Amino acid sequence: MKKIFVLALLFTCMATAAFAETRIRMASTTSTQNSGLFDYLLPIFEKKTGIKIDVVAVGTGASIEIGKRGDADVVFVHAKEQELQAVQEGWFVNRHDVMYNDFVVIGPPTDPAKVTGMKSAADALKTIAASGSSFVSRGDKSGTHTKELSLWKKAGIEPAGQKWYLEAGQGMEKTQRIADEKRAYTLTDRGTWLATKDKDRLDMAIVLEGDPVLFNQYGVMAVNPEKHKHAKYKEAMEFVNWIISKDGQATLAAFKDKNGNALFIPNAK
Amino acid sequence: MYSFTEGFRQAFVLILHLDAQLIGIILLSLKVSGLALVIATVLGLPLGAVLGLTRFPGRGLAVSIMNTFMGLPPVVVGLFVYLLLSRKGPLGFLGLLYSPTAMIIAQTILAFPIVTALCRSAIVSVDLIIRQAAQTLGATRQQETLTIIREARFGILSAIIAAFGRVMAEVGAILIVGGNIAGYTRVMTTTIALETDKGNFELALALGFVLLSISFAINFVLLRVQQRSLGRTA
Amino acid sequence: MKLLASHIRKVYDEKPVLVDCSCEFADRNITVLMGRNGCGKSTFLRICALLEHADGGTVTYADADSVLPPDLALRRRITLVLPRIGVFNTTVSGNVAYGLMIRGVSRREIPRRVHNALAFVALEHKTEQRALTLSSGETQRLGIARALAIEPEILFLDEPTASVDEENTGIIESIILKMKEEMRTTVIMTTHDRDQAERVADELLYLKNGRLEALR
Repeated sequence: MKKIFVLALLFTCMATAAFAETRIRMASTTSTQNSGLFDYLLPIFEKKTGIKIDVVAVGTGASIEIGKRGDADVVFVHAKEQELQAVQEGWFVNRHDVMYNDFVVIGPPTDPAKVTGMKSAADALKTIAASGSSFVSRGDKSGTHTKELSLWKKAGIEPAGQKWYLEAGQGMEKTQRIADEKRAYTLTDRGTWLATKDKDRLDMAIVLEGDPVLFNQYGVMAVNPEKHKHAKYKEAMEFVNWIISKDGQATLAAFKDKNGNALFIPNAK
Repeated sequence: MYSFTEGFRQAFVLILHLDAQLIGIILLSLKVSGLALVIATVLGLPLGAVLGLTRFPGRGLAVSIMNTFMGLPPVVVGLFVYLLLSRKGPLGFLGLLYSPTAMIIAQTILAFPIVTALCRSAIVSVDLIIRQAAQTLGATRQQETLTIIREARFGILSAIIAAFGRVMAEVGAILIVGGNIAGYTRVMTTTIALETDKGNFELALALGFVLLSISFAINFVLLRVQQRSLGRTA
Repeated sequence: MKLLASHIRKVYDEKPVLVDCSCEFADRNITVLMGRNGCGKSTFLRICALLEHADGGTVTYADADSVLPPDLALRRRITLVLPRIGVFNTTVSGNVAYGLMIRGVSRREIPRRVHNALAFVALEHKTEQRALTLSSGETQRLGIARALAIEPEILFLDEPTASVDEENTGIIESIILKMKEEMRTTVIMTTHDRDQAERVADELLYLKNGRLEALR
């Protein structure tokens, strides 16, 4: 009798272990998190594969750092140059384009700097700098910040340290709120803007959009198992392969915010 | 990626080289907390004297409220001031949110009850015979009050120093109303929070050391002042 | 300046402490008020010194023939030295200068008057000492010096030697006598020491059952 009991217990334990939830960690950005994408996407993935993904959302730079440290298994950010650099250094493998959204410049609805109607983002920034209005920057080496700095460079302006240039050093939603309070301009991604403008009751409007340089490419990559033995490479690759598959891409395209806007355009090759 | 010892080493390098960013943050901390203390004292000392020396209906309640507010959680004050100063709030037209002014306002609110309650305590501790002596020597009501305040000076100074230490160390209120904007509303405590979050330990550690040193200095001065005041009991 | 107390009555917690006290205090004399502990001597003194209000009766100060209103000006012409001296946390000279400073006496005048007052009570060698470090006898003398510096016309002393050793008691008694001689101050004091009263008094009053009796 006792033997059967022990065997049954052992079997239960093994069975539980076999069907136990697998969890992996993904480092991503606050703007992606704030758009609501993960709340939509990850349960679908879990249902398909039984893999639960915990998201750590920080700035792009910090996300990549987390991946390098091996504190995540997969990284999903939007800073292609930095991503490729990290892959070259051997920290990550199997990087793929996933989707893109675009950045927009937002500001007070009255647009005191008179930027509305301009076509070039760099020119718009130049105009804002000269206008006396303030500009709020992410200031945190995020994808948005990197893009913003490239625009200043294009405009030939060094904003650092100037009185009208405020560096929040924090996430996109916070940066928008600072701009709102300060009646200033800022660069944001459309996803965050659409997801938060009503929620945060921002008294702001898009003043510039559509400049091709403002397109924001998202990429996914797995942490290199050779650098970090404990990284859950197999499960991470399940996610990578799914998100670039036809099914995953269709799922991305179907994601809409509560106003019915499609926030991301899938473009995996 | 680096180890803790490396972080410590770099922190000391920043301190020794008087890194400009570091100095800027420290000076802003001192300026914000210092101004808050000045305002809190200008308001709190007279109120503490009134609560300690005059009798009026509801005085007991007022004293209880002040004592309770000494323990106001800084984040709650931050929330309250945020709602007050935000563009959507009643004082939004002033456009004060996310500025050093907002931080000074929040810290003044934090420091004010501490200064008031502790000054009152110091003033009440002045022996009644001092007040009587002043009266017998022909002091007017105002002169009498000033005399008592002068007698309570060590206790009052302790109150101010204690309140200063409290606001220098807090992060909740000024983080919420200041917005932690680089070079503008970033002080020691908020920078430590931010940089630790980002994994930049050298600046966080450097500021941590400076903040601890300042706290230590404040407490040391406080102790000396209290010792001097104790040495006076006849 | 003349002082007249008339039918003073005072009640504490429904117990009558002073029932009917009347006295016309002679100018430039030393009047000593005696009585058992707790009989109301201090209360009577405080009422006369305008530091407390009576429940009945009047306290009248008069100059020549005109009655003086009990305002700040009058209060500054008299002073009361309490049995426990409220010493200010500063130097001895700082304490003595207090009454002068609040009266706005000129800064050049003050050191002279402070010195004179301290010399009168034999404390001039302790001018810069922290007043809280004085002995009890010295503290009492400091209280007197503080009062003398303002040159009051009437000086009230409440139990001036109650907590003081024998040597200082002698010193203080001689100071009181000197006051009458050299400064022609009217002194009104209380004591429970019969012999002391005999030594210094020109007039002796006894407070019993809330009433004053003249003994001499």
